Amino acid sequence: MTRAVHLDGITKRFPGVVANDDVDLAVERGTVHALLGENGAGKTTLMNVLYGLYEPTSGRVVVDGEERDFDSPRDAIDAGVGMIHQHFMLVDPMTVAENITLGNEPRKWGGLTVDRERARREVIDLSGRYGFDVDPDARIEDVSVGVQQRVEILKALYRGAEVLILDEPTAVLTPQEVEDLFEVFEELTAGGKTIVFITHKLGEAMHAADEITVLRDGRNVGTVDADATSREELARMMVGREVLLEVEKPPGEAGDRVLEVDGVSVRDERGVTAVDGVSFDVRAGEVFGIAGVDGNGQTELVEAITGMRRPEAGRVGLDGEDVTRWSRQRRIDAGMAYVPEDRQERGLVMAFDLVGNGVLGSQHAAPFAKGGRMDWGAAREHAASVIEEYDVRPPDPGTTARSLSGGNQQKFVVGREFARDPALLVATHPTRGVDIGSTEFIRERMLDLRSAGVGVLLVSSKLEEVQGLSDRLAVMHDGELVAVVDPGTVTEEELGLLMAGEYPEGFDPDAATEPPDPGTVEARRDGGAAAEDGAAAEDGATTDGERR
Amino acid sequence: MSEGGGDGAEGGGEDRADPNGIADGSSDRETAGASGDPGEGPVPGPSGDAAPPMDRARRALDRLASASATERFLLSFAALVLSIAVGTVLVLAAGRATTCETAAFVLTHPTPFGLPRLFSMGFCFDPVAVFDRLFFGALGDPFKRGWGPLSPFRGGPLNPFREGYELLNPQMAVTLRETTILVFSGLAVAVAFRAGIFNIGTQGQLVLGALGTGLSVLWAAPFVPAGMAGTVVLVTLGLLVGAVVGGLYGAIPGALKAYAEANEVITTIMLNFVATGVAFFLVANYFRNPDSQAVETTPVPDYANVPPLLFEPRDDFSFIALGLGAALVVGVYYLLEQTSFGYDVRTSGLQPDAAEYGGVNAERTVVYSMALSGALGGIGGAIYVLMILGKFQTGVPAYGFDGITVSILAGNNPLGVGFAAFLFGTLKSGSTVVQFATDVPPQLVGVLRGLIILFVAMPEFFRMLARGIGPTADPERRAVAADGSGAVDTGGETDE
Repeated sequence: MTRAVHLDGITKRFPGVVANDDVDLAVERGTVHALLGENGAGKTTLMNVLYGLYEPTSGRVVVDGEERDFDSPRDAIDAGVGMIHQHFMLVDPMTVAENITLGNEPRKWGGLTVDRERARREVIDLSGRYGFDVDPDARIEDVSVGVQQRVEILKALYRGAEVLILDEPTAVLTPQEVEDLFEVFEELTAGGKTIVFITHKLGEAMHAADEITVLRDGRNVGTVDADATSREELARMMVGREVLLEVEKPPGEAGDRVLEVDGVSVRDERGVTAVDGVSFDVRAGEVFGIAGVDGNGQTELVEAITGMRRPEAGRVGLDGEDVTRWSRQRRIDAGMAYVPEDRQERGLVMAFDLVGNGVLGSQHAAPFAKGGRMDWGAAREHAASVIEEYDVRPPDPGTTARSLSGGNQQKFVVGREFARDPALLVATHPTRGVDIGSTEFIRERMLDLRSAGVGVLLVSSKLEEVQGLSDRLAVMHDGELVAVVDPGTVTEEELGLLMAGEYPEGFDPDAATEPPDPGTVEARRDGGAAAEDGAAAEDGATTDGERR
Repeated sequence: MSEGGGDGAEGGGEDRADPNGIADGSSDRETAGASGDPGEGPVPGPSGDAAPPMDRARRALDRLASASATERFLLSFAALVLSIAVGTVLVLAAGRATTCETAAFVLTHPTPFGLPRLFSMGFCFDPVAVFDRLFFGALGDPFKRGWGPLSPFRGGPLNPFREGYELLNPQMAVTLRETTILVFSGLAVAVAFRAGIFNIGTQGQLVLGALGTGLSVLWAAPFVPAGMAGTVVLVTLGLLVGAVVGGLYGAIPGALKAYAEANEVITTIMLNFVATGVAFFLVANYFRNPDSQAVETTPVPDYANVPPLLFEPRDDFSFIALGLGAALVVGVYYLLEQTSFGYDVRTSGLQPDAAEYGGVNAERTVVYSMALSGALGGIGGAIYVLMILGKFQTGVPAYGFDGITVSILAGNNPLGVGFAAFLFGTLKSGSTVVQFATDVPPQLVGVLRGLIILFVAMPEFFRMLARGIGPTADPERRAVAADGSGAVDTGGETDE
C-alpha cells in the first residue's frame, strides 16, 4: 500500500502557544484513519495544516508521495485533498446539485450560463457511484443534516478529492445517521478514497477506523491499529492517565422531596403540546435521570421547571413551596441551579468576559451586588475560583466567553452552577462537548453534590451517563414519561425500546409510571436493597426474568 | 510544552473549522472567521472563486470587532482626515462646475526666475477656506489671520492663538450649545441601544419634555421669588418635569414592546408624530403667546433660565448645562458598568436568552431602560427650553434624530457620546460660519457635513455589524482568543 498522506514533523506555533509539536501522521491509501484527542489536543489545527488553511511553522506535507506547500485550500483541493467541516457550507435555498457543482459548474454557451442539466447528470452519476441516496433536486433547507453532510462529501468528491478530511463528522448526526455515515466511509474506501476523520469519541474511532492516531497536548502519542486496541488503552493515551470510564457511584441516601412536578403540561413555541401531564419528584441526595431522544419534550419540561417557560397546566414545587408562577430570579434565589442545554445562547453571554459571566444569575445577590452596585472584585475572585476548580483554559477571568472553546465554555457554566450551593440542580447534557477527562470530573462533582444532599435532575441523551449516574431513571417519549426504571437493572435494549415509545415484552407500564410512594422508597432504601425505587425494582425484576 | 499552551493553541486551531458557519445561505458566512491570523485561505464553498475577497472582508470585520479603544479612536481620526480629503475633491469639482467672476482658489505652480506659467486652473470655491471655516470658524477662529500652511505659527510658535482671541466667543457658544443638547439626546439613544432597543423616539420624548418644562415653569414662576433662589427652584423643577414627561413618554413604547411585543422602531416613530402634533395642538389652542405670530408659549422669566456662567446671556449657552451633561455621561456609564441594573440592561441588549436564563426580568428591563432613555431625552428638551429658547416653540430642531447618529458615532458608549456630540456640534455650528464666509451653497455644506459623519461613523457601524453577526448567527465562529489567535473548539459540540 502507498501512503496517501504523510505529515512529517509538523509543528505549528501560534503567538504564545504550540498547537502541534513535531507531529507525524501517515495515512495509507484506501483506509479510514481516525484522529483522536481531547478538546484542545491539536487535531483540527493539524488537519487545517493539511488542508492549506494554516502554513506549518516547520515540517513537511506529503500528499501522494509528493511534497506540497499549500498556500490555500484551493491548492489542497487541486492536490486532491478535501475537507468537510463540522458546520456545513451550503446554500440553503439552492438544490443539492447546485450546491455540489457551485464554483465549478459545467457551463454552456461559451461559459455564459450554467449547464444545469449536465450538472444534474454529473451529480446523479457521482452519487450513484458511491451508493449515495440523494435527490439532486431537493433543496438543502428541506433535507436532513445527514443528507447535508453527504452533499458536502459529494461536493469534495466532485472537485476531485482523493483524501477526505472530516472534522467531527458525527457531532451533528443522530445515531442512525452515524451508522449510515460509517457505511458511506466503507463505500468510499472501497472506491479507493482515503478518509481522515477527527473525533473525541473512543467508540466511533474504534468502530469506523482502520488506524487511530491519538493526539495529546499537540503531540502524537501514538498510532494504533483499531482492531488491536481497547477503549481503556485509547482513553489512557488521550488523557495521559487512567480514566474511569464508568463513575463509581456510592450508595445514596435520599431525603425529602426537593422538586415536585405534578401534572405539568407545556406547549412549545408553535403552540404544540410538548409536555403532556408529566409528574415526578426529585429527592434530596438523589440523581433523577431523564433519558429520551432529543426533542421529546425534555427541553420544554426543564424550562418549565427552571422558570424559563410557563406551563399550561400542573404545578412545580420546590422545597415544599409552589413555585409554578415564580420568576426565574426567585427560583435561582431559592436554590435552583441550572445547567442549560444551550450554553452559547443561554448559559453564557458571549460578549462578556468570564468575570461578567460568573455572576450571571447572581447579579442582584450578595456577595456580587451590594445595594444595587456590582462588586467586580468579588466577581473576579469567583470567576477565578471556578476557572481553577474546573480547569477552564485559558485560565484568565478576562477572557471573553466567545473565545473559549466549546468544552471550556461548558466547564465554566457547570462550575458556576455547581458553585451556587443549590438545593436542586437541573443539569441538561452537562458533559456535552466536554472531553473525557473533564467529563469524569464533572460527573464526580455531580455525585459529590448528591452526597451533600442536593437533589439532581439529570437530562441527557447519553445513555451511559444517565444510566451510570441516576438513582432513578425516567424515560421520556412524546411529551410523556413512559416509565421510571431502575438504572441498575434496566438494559440498553429496554431503554432503547422505551425511548422509541414501545414497551418491552412483559413490561408493566402502569407499575413504572406510578409515582413511587415516598414511604416505600425510604423503606426499601433503608433496607439496603439494590433497587432504589419501588416501581423500578418491580419492573427491573420482570425484565430481568424476561432476559434470562 | 505546558498543558495550557496546548489548549490555547488548539483553540487557535480548531477555530478554523467553525468559520464555515452554519449553512445559512449567505455566502459571506462561509469564510473563515475569527482571528487576524494570516495564512488563512479561502474555504471553497458557495461563493467559489469569489472566496478570497469575501474572506478578506470577513477578516477585516473580525479585526474591527476586536479593535481596542485606542485603535478605534485612531480609526475615527483617520476617517475624519479621509472624509476631508474626499470633501476637498467634491468642493473643487463643484467649484469647477459653477461659474463665478473671480476664482476663489487657483491651482497653479510657482514661477521662479520669471519662468512662464504653464498651468493654471481656477475654482469657484476654496476647499481650504471651507474646511477652515467649518472647523476653526466653529471655534471662533483660534488661529491668527485665518488658516494657511504656516499661519498658526506666524505669531510665534508659542502663541498660536490669534491676537485678541477669546475662547468664550459667541461662535464657540453656538458649538457648545449644540453639543450640550446632543449629549443628552445621544445618551438617550445610547442607553436604549445598550438594552437592545432602537429608540427612534428620542425626538418625541425631547419635544414633550420641552413642552412639559416650558409649561410647568410658566405655571410655577408666579409663586417663586425672582433672583438666585427662583432660578434654582424653577430650573430644578423644569428639569425634573422634563425628565418625568420624557421618561413616561419613553416608557410607553417600552411597555408596548415588553408586554405586547410591538416593534419599538415602529411605535417610537409613530409616537414622534403624536408628540409633535400634541405639542402643536396644546400650544396653539391653550398656551399660545397672544403677542406672537409663532406657535409658542409666552417666554419664561429671565430668572428661570439656566444661568449663563462665563458666557453672555445672549449667547444662549451655559456651562452649567454642559456640566450636567458631563455628569450624566459619567452617571450613565457608571449605571451601565457598575450596577446590577446595568448588568441586566447590557445582558438583555447583548443576548436576551442569556438574560432570561440569568433571571433578568426582560419586560421590566425594557420598560425601565426606555423610561431612562426617554428621561434623558426629556432633560435635553428641558435644557433646550431653559437655556436656548426661554420658551416652548413648536418646530423643535431634530436633536433626537441627530442623537441616533451621535450614539452610533460613539459606539453606544456613554463616554464616547461626549466626543461625538462635540464633533456634531462643531459641524453644525461651523456650517453656518461657512455659509457666512464663503459662496459655497448650503446644500454643498450639508453634503460635506454628511460626508464627515458618514466616514467617521462607518468604522463604528461596521464594527457593530461584525459584532452583531456574532452571537446570533454563530458565536463560536467569531471567537478571538486572549492570545490573539482564534479559539473555538469544534470538538465541543458533541455527544458521546
